[in-house]
Amino acid sequence: MISMRNVSKIYVPNKPPALDDCNVEIEQGEFVFLVGHSGSGKSTFIRLLLRELLPTRGQIVVAGQDLTKMKPWKVPYLRRNIGCVFQDFKLLPNKTTYENIAFALEVIGRSKHVIRTQVPEVLRLVGLEEKMESYPDELSGGEQQRVSIARAFVNRPPLLLADEPTGNLDPATSLGIMSLLNRINKTGTTVLVATHDREMVDSMRKRVIALEGGKVIRDQDRGVYGYGD
Amino acid sequence: MAINFGYFMKESATSFRRNWVMSLGAIITIYLSLLLVGISLGSGMLLGQVVESFEDKVSIRVFLKDGAPAEQVDAMQAELMANEMVATVAYTSKEQALEEFKARLMEDSPEVIENLPGNPLPASLDIDLKDPRNVSTVVEQIVASDNFMAVADRPDDPAKSLEYGQEVVEKLFTVTRIIRIVSIVFVAMLAVISMIFINNAIRIAIYARRKEIAIMRLVGASNWFIRTPFLLEGTLQSLVGALLAIGTLSVLYFYILPKLSELMTFLPLSMTGGDALQVSVILVVTGVAMGLAGAMLAMRRYLRV
Repeated sequence: MISMRNVSKIYVPNKPPALDDCNVEIEQGEFVFLVGHSGSGKSTFIRLLLRELLPTRGQIVVAGQDLTKMKPWKVPYLRRNIGCVFQDFKLLPNKTTYENIAFALEVIGRSKHVIRTQVPEVLRLVGLEEKMESYPDELSGGEQQRVSIARAFVNRPPLLLADEPTGNLDPATSLGIMSLLNRINKTGTTVLVATHDREMVDSMRKRVIALEGGKVIRDQDRGVYGYGD
Repeated sequence: MAINFGYFMKESATSFRRNWVMSLGAIITIYLSLLLVGISLGSGMLLGQVVESFEDKVSIRVFLKDGAPAEQVDAMQAELMANEMVATVAYTSKEQALEEFKARLMEDSPEVIENLPGNPLPASLDIDLKDPRNVSTVVEQIVASDNFMAVADRPDDPAKSLEYGQEVVEKLFTVTRIIRIVSIVFVAMLAVISMIFINNAIRIAIYARRKEIAIMRLVGASNWFIRTPFLLEGTLQSLVGALLAIGTLSVLYFYILPKLSELMTFLPLSMTGGDALQVSVILVVTGVAMGLAGAMLAMRRYLRV
């Protein structure tokens, strides 16, 4: 699903690279944590996979497509195959839960019929069918993140990226979000979660890729957060 | 596509409601610049007619001295006919000149002429040119000609033996040239200003919708899908401006122009419906082009997708 070979990303010449010669292979259906301190390169990693950035060196293949050779006009079609969840939810405040999710389908040209059937379905999956008509500011943080996950998943992408999805949430709520991501993973979707939520990583016992100073310092199945601190 | 079109129209309408002040500014500047384009096009057409009507009147008249030998007059006529700048040469005899004079000026008091001792008017050669702008060249050639010296009414003062509307034509050409240059400069400036306004209106529209745009990119909306509402908005703004300009020009055309030509019967001030339609089409096309250009400019700068 994801293949990074000798990938480096240098934002400013002559400064330490954000990513330094990374090699990562992630198979379809895997659940992977990407851990590391702030500034270790997690966000760069995610943005490279979304092709918001191009690597300075190396090759990235996502869903069978070489991102370094991809034509710019094809990028939107790549992103339709990647669901994306962020720490700040990125919901539109003037749209209801239903409309926020429908918007994601609307703008990729899905028909009204598809929208009417898929949106309630994904809301049931995340357990928010009751909150369909609520606006984001009427929802709790955990609920908002569920909406954001529903939006990322409504198109059934084969890959789901989450950048600090529990960064703004308390531990109990975080647990719910993680189990939701786990459930999505069980449907066959590859899930990559960038986080520094130690408890979460340790309790889930999934594959852990650790970044430090832009290098992959550890890649371990059924791993823990690690770092002695 | 049907769903999409509805979506784009909805988006454009929403965006217009959200920042109607900027949109209105864009519309008004476009309106003003297109109005100016229309006025200068229309007045250019009218002036063209005026110039043409004067050009028709511009001919060179060579006065012949009484009793000039016929063969020399013929030679002069032949020489003129041979000149490739000359269209026609007509001979007016003394008697014809007098008749013309009577018909033209003395209708009310024919006795003035009846009482004249003889016929004071000279015979003449009337020369029409293919292009009135060549008047001075042809005049020089005539003055330099030996035939002319032989037949001219007053060979001592050649200028008095010639009559032509040189100055009128030159002034008209100068005036139209100046008007043309001034209106081109104004229109160009206004076009730039309207593009800046549209650019600004679209920039604000993009800024107002930056969250939506970020999410659209995230979920994989295609570039044209993100861009189309803004292009449409710029186009709609300029289209509204163009229609307003056409409306104003119609008022001028249907109410003011007839009054104006009533006031100035000596000038042929009229415009055909076809010309008016042509001006309208030009305005719509230029307007839409400016709107699209302004919106594209804004998107290149503020909407990198």
